[in-house]
Amino acid sequence: MIKKIVLVVILCAALLSCGSENKKDNQALKTEDWETISKSTNGKTVNFMMWQGSPVINEYINNYIIPTVKEEYGVNLQISGGQGPEIVQLAMSERQAGITESQVDIVWINGETFFQLRSIDALWGPFLSKLPNSQYINFDDPFVSTDFQQPIKGMEAPWSMGQFAMVYDATKADDPPATLDELEAYIKKHPGTFTISNDFTGMTLMKSFLAELGGSPTSLNGEFDEDKYVKLSGQLWDWVNGNKQYFWKEGTTFPKEQSIMSQLFANGEVNITYGFSEGGVEERVTSGLYPNTTKAYPWKNGTIKNANYLGILSNATEKAAAMQVINFMISPEAQFEKARANGMDSNTILDVKKLPQQWQDKFKNAPGRQYGIKLEELSEYAIAEPAPEYMIRLYEDFRTKVIEK
Amino acid sequence: MKNKSENISLGLFVLIGVVPFAAAFGYAILYSFGIIGVVNTGFTLEFWKAVIASGEFFKSFLYSAVIAFISLLISVGGALWIILKFRNQLERKFLSYISYLPLAIPGVVAAFFTLQLFSKGGFFSRISYNLGWTETTVEFPDLVNDAYAIGIILAFTTIVLPFFVLLFMNVYKNERIQELSILAQALGAKKNQVVRKVFLPILLQKTWVLIVLYFIFLLGAYEIPLILGQEAPQMLSVLIIREIKQYDLTKISEGYVAAVIYTVIVTLAAIMLFLPKKHGAYET
Repeated sequence: MIKKIVLVVILCAALLSCGSENKKDNQALKTEDWETISKSTNGKTVNFMMWQGSPVINEYINNYIIPTVKEEYGVNLQISGGQGPEIVQLAMSERQAGITESQVDIVWINGETFFQLRSIDALWGPFLSKLPNSQYINFDDPFVSTDFQQPIKGMEAPWSMGQFAMVYDATKADDPPATLDELEAYIKKHPGTFTISNDFTGMTLMKSFLAELGGSPTSLNGEFDEDKYVKLSGQLWDWVNGNKQYFWKEGTTFPKEQSIMSQLFANGEVNITYGFSEGGVEERVTSGLYPNTTKAYPWKNGTIKNANYLGILSNATEKAAAMQVINFMISPEAQFEKARANGMDSNTILDVKKLPQQWQDKFKNAPGRQYGIKLEELSEYAIAEPAPEYMIRLYEDFRTKVIEK
Repeated sequence: MKNKSENISLGLFVLIGVVPFAAAFGYAILYSFGIIGVVNTGFTLEFWKAVIASGEFFKSFLYSAVIAFISLLISVGGALWIILKFRNQLERKFLSYISYLPLAIPGVVAAFFTLQLFSKGGFFSRISYNLGWTETTVEFPDLVNDAYAIGIILAFTTIVLPFFVLLFMNVYKNERIQELSILAQALGAKKNQVVRKVFLPILLQKTWVLIVLYFIFLLGAYEIPLILGQEAPQMLSVLIIREIKQYDLTKISEGYVAAVIYTVIVTLAAIMLFLPKKHGAYET
């Protein structure tokens, strides 16, 4: 009997290992024309790993993208939840295990994740120039073609564009702070109503603060500069530690993530919050989470403007079908649907001037935001993402030099 | 035939229970020494030195142990008190149903409830505001994500206390403590003597193994401290997962070092607990 069990186990292992043989040479895909690629995707299943923390984004993906790619291209798009670290963990584990057919094909990434995936050679490409709809993207725009100071080099397809913005409730703060000095004065007057989230968003705010301490919106541009970082971050931690007694919970702890910040703002525990996509005001006011007196505003020295991207894993099973899906996701129709103010409300990555006239008209005539600030209104305050090392170091130092102090 | 089926059971146990654990532990050891890992370059003691030098792990271990101990103290103490005072009422179907309900609540839900009830913008804070006891949310005391881990202890207690009520009820019946108490009283023992010399010793002696196991379980709890804890210090599992999922890929091995130390300590504790055959330990 035991022999039988051992035999079954060996058979299972053998079967599993057979399944991990790669189906075809993916290098050939890079030289194939789009028509051939496009024809080969019918009936294929593509797995997309994305952050699922926003109901409007989930709604857009589940009720628009999935049925449309199925109907138009016969591609079965499946979603799994995961962002930054999870994606990197997955890619690392699969590489370690020698898995040549990943359980994920497309990943939604930017910045550090792009940097990390590139550093472990886990992204496939370049594929961007293959996609017909990439013609509508303006690659001369450095906010599109550079991801955290790294040229994207066709290894990821830009999907959305947004800018970080400060958010306040007009009934609680007449003149919201827009510089570090003003913020210090504000929290001393209103203790407990401000905090820094210990996550991607909070660290992005820290980058804006770092740039301000550097003296200009462009002070962090260029490759990572250790000396500059040590000097500026020293000043930043001095500022934070000197003032954290006036933070939420007297700075003894910090919210773990953005959803908690949103809750604190909605509850009235904090008066000022912040976030990407121009602060996310439109969606949260429309859904009733924030009061309709909520407004987004710029930080005087500027806030980070960046794009987010879609990449294909180097061991993705269905690279051709993944390209098909990404090409659709950057199409004028999908981007128009994504930009709907009462939907996902996400700025298009496309350069509207490059689009056919009918789409130009559609984009121009689309109803705008009711509550949120427009991306154009923030454009003069836009700062480029600094090199990814800044973020990685800020994460670590925020923990060791602020949280654990 | 009996031998054969025993062998099969043992084989399945090893296959399902031991092999995956041993494989994961081996993987963690190799990772902690930099032998495997995409960005690691080969054997190094660097990660072990870094973890030991930073002291964060040991602080976290102590913090977790104190929280687990206090939570257990409240839960076991509370359960004993409930059995002592409300045993008869608990026999009633409705009451027993209500009191055992928290047993069915997953940790993550208990943590979420606790957050909704006790946060500064939560249910009790709102009541306090409406009653005029507080004027702003800031004035409401810190009960979740707080420095004293009140939120974590509250949630742990909510989950663990009903279990011990149920356990003590069974032991109380099976060990015929009621009859023994009546006998002791008939022999002249006072009420508190019955509690100290009959009720407590029997219940605790018969359940101590489970109490220690629950301590180990709480030591490694994840969801509740993740939602209700502070950012520093963090309970062990939260710390380990944070280290393993961090952005700096070159430091992921430090998470595995912490996981290895924790596993070794808990395994040693479990071996010490089970190796000497304890008679009379209550098994459920």
